[in-house]
Amino acid sequence: MSLLKKLDDLVYAIGIDKILFRKVRPRSLRWIPLFVLAALIVGYVLMASIASRPTAKFFVGWLLFYGAYMTAMLLRTFGPRFVATARDPLDERELTVKARAYATSGIGITVLAMLGCCYMAGAEPLGIWRPHMPNDWISLALGLQAIAMLLPTWIASWLQPPPLADQED
Amino acid sequence: MSNLYNRIAVFRAERGVSRRELAEAVGVNNQTIGYLERGDYKPSLELAMKIAAYFGVSVELLFSFQRFESVADTLRRAAAAGDQQ
Repeated sequence: MSLLKKLDDLVYAIGIDKILFRKVRPRSLRWIPLFVLAALIVGYVLMASIASRPTAKFFVGWLLFYGAYMTAMLLRTFGPRFVATARDPLDERELTVKARAYATSGIGITVLAMLGCCYMAGAEPLGIWRPHMPNDWISLALGLQAIAMLLPTWIASWLQPPPLADQED
Repeated sequence: MSNLYNRIAVFRAERGVSRRELAEAVGVNNQTIGYLERGDYKPSLELAMKIAAYFGVSVELLFSFQRFESVADTLRRAAAAGDQQ
């Protein structure tokens, strides 16, 4: 058996093909995105609150933040379908849910960015914390990206009713 | 927003068609047929007409803003009408 064949078999054995080819049954993820969001925020606060690095607290924050970031990227695969495949195009209901979820999350992210800008503007005169290290800013950008990935999945999960018990599959 | 009732499940049971078969025939996900039957999703006019065409009936027979009479009541009424004749 060639190495390529072994690697191919390994992909199917551990189920990565289900993620790659989007064979996962869509689920309503109504609560998990909130936990991921909480981990993202706590991780960021822990990372950013440390002035002298590295400390154990910083690494805990780093693990939480990047763990949540990776989970946010993965959750889209398991939540309501947003990406059509050649075998399963999105139907009218899924397209409606996707459009509403993205529109609502776009408003949410805009409001968040506006509030963030107002906070930054007031932080220096008021002498309160604001991002100052390059890592703070990069993490903030990645955090926003993770929120942009999480929000549509979370909103779409609430927009559509729970899946049917009897799938007749 | 008014409720839109439908008799897709009744027609499907009568014809012995599975959700998957109906979904494939009208070009939607089979979960969408389930949501339609439960009244959790209102179809577009195009989808409603495709489903009606699949069963060979008019849209009004399949979808209504008024609740449909139950099958038992319809049969009872039909039996009573037969007795009168």
